Amino acid sequence: MIVVDEYLAVRVVGGRWPEGLPDDEDLVLPASRHWRLLQRIHAPGGGQLSRLLATLSPTDRDTIRYPHPEVLQIADPRPLLDEAAQIAARYGGTGWLTAETLAAGLTHGRALWFGTERNVGRLLQTAADDLGIAIHVVA
Amino acid sequence: MEEMAVVDVSEERRRRRRAGDPRLSAEGREILARITTGDLADEFQAALDADVEADPILGGHPDDAA
Repeated sequence: MIVVDEYLAVRVVGGRWPEGLPDDEDLVLPASRHWRLLQRIHAPGGGQLSRLLATLSPTDRDTIRYPHPEVLQIADPRPLLDEAAQIAARYGGTGWLTAETLAAGLTHGRALWFGTERNVGRLLQTAADDLGIAIHVVA
Repeated sequence: MEEMAVVDVSEERRRRRRAGDPRLSAEGREILARITTGDLADEFQAALDADVEADPILGGHPDDAA
C-alpha cells in the first residue's frame, strides 16, 4: 500500500498519473484526508472551485465519494486509531489529520506521498523525520 | 490443442490503476486536473487549510504542538 495525500488521490482518480509515483502497489488515502475532499463536495464555499465542483455530474462526484478500489482505496481508520492516539500524545497538537496520516505511514512502508510541498505541514514533517517516515513529493 | 493466452495480472492492474476511474467523464477529468495542477490549485489548498483551521479535532491545536 502506498499512502497518498488529497492531491495525488484526485490526480490518480482523474487518470493523470504523477511522474515518480510507484504504480506497483495499491494506493490508499487516509480517511481524514478523504473527509477533507468530501467537504469540497458536500460543503462547498463560494469561490470558483466550489462553482466548478457543482458542475460535476453525480457519476463524476461518485468517483470522489466512493473511489474505484482498483484506483484508490480509503484507509479503514479503526486499525490506525491507537497508533494515531499515541502519536498525538507524543507530539501534541497534531489533530486527527496529521496523527492518522503518520500512523498510516508507519503501517504502510514508513513512507508518505504528497502532490505538493504545501500540503505536508511543519508538524507532520518534524514528526515524520523523528519516526523514520520518508516524505516524498511528486509534482 | 487450443493455445491459452497468458495474461500478466499485475501488469493489467497497473494499467487500470494508471488509467484512473473509468466512471469519470472527460469534463470531470478536466475539472480535477484544474484543481490539482491547474489554475485552481491555490484555491484548493486554501480550502484544505481552512478545514484544519476550522476544526480542532481534525487540525489539532497548534499552540500545544511540541
